[in-house]
Amino acid sequence: MDNFFANFLDDYFAECDEHIINIRDNLLAIEAQINQPQIEHSFLDKLFVSFHSIKGLSGMVGLKEAEELAHEMESYLRLLREKKVILTAPGIDALINGTTILEQVITAYRTQSPLPDLGSIMSQLTNAFAEKLPEPTNLGNNTKTGNNQAVNSSATQISSITLKIQEQAELKSALEQGETAWQFEFLPGQEKADRGINVNTVRERLQVIGKLIHASPKVRQNGEVSFNFVVTTNVPETSFAGWDADGLTYSPYLVTGSEEKSVTKSEEKPEQLASLSPVSSPTPISPLINTTGSTPSNVVRVDLTKLDELMRMVGELVTTRAKFAENLKNIKNKLNATELRALRETNLALERQLRDLREGVMRVRLVPIGEIFTRMQFIIRDLAKESQKQISLQFEGQNTEIDKFVVERMLDPMMHMVRNAVSHGLELPNERISCGKSPEGKISLRAATVGEMVVIEIADDGRGVDVEAVMNQAKKQGLIDSFAQNQTVDSNTILDLMCSPCFSTREQADLISGRGVGMAVVKNTVNELGGFITLDSQRGKGTTLRIQLPLTLAIADALIISVKDQTFAIPQSAVREVLQVPESAIAILENNELIPYRHQVLPLIRLSTVFNLNNSHQFSTNSEIKINQKSSHTQLPAAQSTLKLIVVGNGVNAVAIGVDQILGQQEIVVRPLTDPLVQVIGIAGATELGDGRVVLIIDTLALNRIANSTVKIKNYSEKTA
Amino acid sequence: MTTHPNHSPENHSSLPFILFELAGTTYGLHSQVVQQMEMVQQITPVPNAANFVEGVVFSRGQVIPAINLRVRFGWEKVPYDVRTRLIVINVNHRTVGLITDSAREFISIPQDVILPPPEAISGLSGKYLAGIAMLGERLILILNAEEIINLTTDTSLIVHSS
Repeated sequence: MDNFFANFLDDYFAECDEHIINIRDNLLAIEAQINQPQIEHSFLDKLFVSFHSIKGLSGMVGLKEAEELAHEMESYLRLLREKKVILTAPGIDALINGTTILEQVITAYRTQSPLPDLGSIMSQLTNAFAEKLPEPTNLGNNTKTGNNQAVNSSATQISSITLKIQEQAELKSALEQGETAWQFEFLPGQEKADRGINVNTVRERLQVIGKLIHASPKVRQNGEVSFNFVVTTNVPETSFAGWDADGLTYSPYLVTGSEEKSVTKSEEKPEQLASLSPVSSPTPISPLINTTGSTPSNVVRVDLTKLDELMRMVGELVTTRAKFAENLKNIKNKLNATELRALRETNLALERQLRDLREGVMRVRLVPIGEIFTRMQFIIRDLAKESQKQISLQFEGQNTEIDKFVVERMLDPMMHMVRNAVSHGLELPNERISCGKSPEGKISLRAATVGEMVVIEIADDGRGVDVEAVMNQAKKQGLIDSFAQNQTVDSNTILDLMCSPCFSTREQADLISGRGVGMAVVKNTVNELGGFITLDSQRGKGTTLRIQLPLTLAIADALIISVKDQTFAIPQSAVREVLQVPESAIAILENNELIPYRHQVLPLIRLSTVFNLNNSHQFSTNSEIKINQKSSHTQLPAAQSTLKLIVVGNGVNAVAIGVDQILGQQEIVVRPLTDPLVQVIGIAGATELGDGRVVLIIDTLALNRIANSTVKIKNYSEKTA
Repeated sequence: MTTHPNHSPENHSSLPFILFELAGTTYGLHSQVVQQMEMVQQITPVPNAANFVEGVVFSRGQVIPAINLRVRFGWEKVPYDVRTRLIVINVNHRTVGLITDSAREFISIPQDVILPPPEAISGLSGKYLAGIAMLGERLILILNAEEIINLTTDTSLIVHSS
């Protein structure tokens, strides 16, 4: 039974989530219509339905606080719908704050933490709504009573049972076969239990007379738990008429005309409320029926952990196939050509099909990014008030789809970056005017899919990053050794410094932008998701943070390479070209090796050097290279002095990675290396290639940074040593 | 797997420990933190990691770091043999493998024979020493698993030993 109720609660939370997202979207839509006599009806209808549903659902799970809050807001919306009041600025503020608190209440209930205080929000709501009401003093009390009575009556009301889509279908088909639907309510008790009557025996009884299509627990007003059942049957009523004595009451289950589950609720309750509330007239609620299509019946709600599990299984399949390919390679000499070809073809087909499967699973997990963008709009709304800045927010590419898990992980980082843009980036209106900008600062949130990556940009047209302040602060904190004025610093170095833990250029942390841990959190999250951030800032013109995230987290294509007998994987998405050049093509500039590449020069990074591979021979290897460099024209045969290079990165950030051998290309299951013991610069994660061995995945962007940074940032061990 | 004869399991003030050997000394880890013990498989070195981090291994669907406890405590590395074991511990949501010379005993130690580490060695190694137990003639050093895998504890070790 516990399990049963828990499942029911899961549904409750999921449904509330959906409604709150819906509420947010529609609140923002009506915000533009403040003080206008006519508000687009469809928005109000949707808001009304959502608040009403949350109210009803909260009542069913016994979360009275959410029920009351939703009720308060629903009442206001009813007045708006009936044009009894005009939407005012305090009114919309109250609705927005109310929604925030409502979400907090539901979250607190889910996490079993203390509920937030409702006193102030309730009075804000009442005050705001009372402003233009004909009978301002009565409203609060009346709606309260209305609320309680509604709950009381819902305890006895028939249609308060919400049928799932599947259950509706079962009900429908049973009715079509001429069966009758009955609703039973069972109230357990000690005395009944002693007689051997409990929820399980009741269930069995019901299953005997017909088909049990629905069962749900209900918390009654007095705290008792009762159980609702819906049964379809063709036995006459007389066969269960005597069950009243066992605490099992019944009544005909009224089937409403529509398939929509929220309609079954809304048809009953608003009318009761309408008759109880003095300010509203019993208007027909027919428009509701048209607006409840937000959850089409062909949509299935799936728990994310189930999808995670599915993705993990696909990952295992990929690894198993790799093992199969490996084994096939081992026995190829023992097979004749026909047998080998058949097996190879099967293997290739398997690979192709797995790829399709993986893509299919991935697609299921994608959700539009617009959901977080809308949340940012709320945050900016508040920030604008606190900071007295004028802000306009622009969206681009809200429909860009991204992994659900990634969206959830990116919420906090996005909030940090938006806060930073407001508090550090945008100037106050006066300052902007004196710089010749419009007083209204602009923040843009953009998203787009580029190949296998999703790009998210947070851009502002504010003052840009103060490079000097960042460098001086970094020096003060011992992150860098020296900084000469007017020294040019590349933007990635600045970003790295800004992302160091506890870095903040503000002398005192302010409320909005926190204490400088923000960017560190942003960077860590993005890295954990397998993505990277770049910074583009121009003094006086603005700042753009660009985040690139892989579409899929779990599985990627990679080049498998080796250096000094150690194998590594390089994500294919980063690789631009694979080259072979003679050692003689390397030019040396101070401590750097450079490679000519398509009319430009790329820094060469030898993995053996960066990773200190083959420690004991490292120095001799280096000197050998230099000898080669000088003498390769005359002494060494060309074949021995070629260098295999993998070009990664774009434009000015491109680098050539020097490796010993390129072993092939393979689909890999990416496993993050989250333990601090093995978080090192240049390694993004690990994978296993099918033979049980772990292979490290190269972080090409980190290598880019090593090659292109103009200022050396000390890493942890150097700093403390 | 042997249980010490003097201390039966029904003595409820006893705590269960996994014992392992390192350079001839017996150490104990509370069995609660130990997830499993394995033969040492292929370890992939991680470049530029701390010197006592031997690399990463694949264990039960997870890639986890493997610490060489000999190096961690400042001794010479020895080649792995058939008795070498990887003890996989789980502390603070981190899973880490510890490479030990051998590990095969599970034992209950009565709480009253576990003494706090003496002042004299509470310096460097005292940090990861949770206590000392005397079982008859046998000395068992009980480790603080949290400290062993703590990176800041590492740095102090590197500084002191260099």
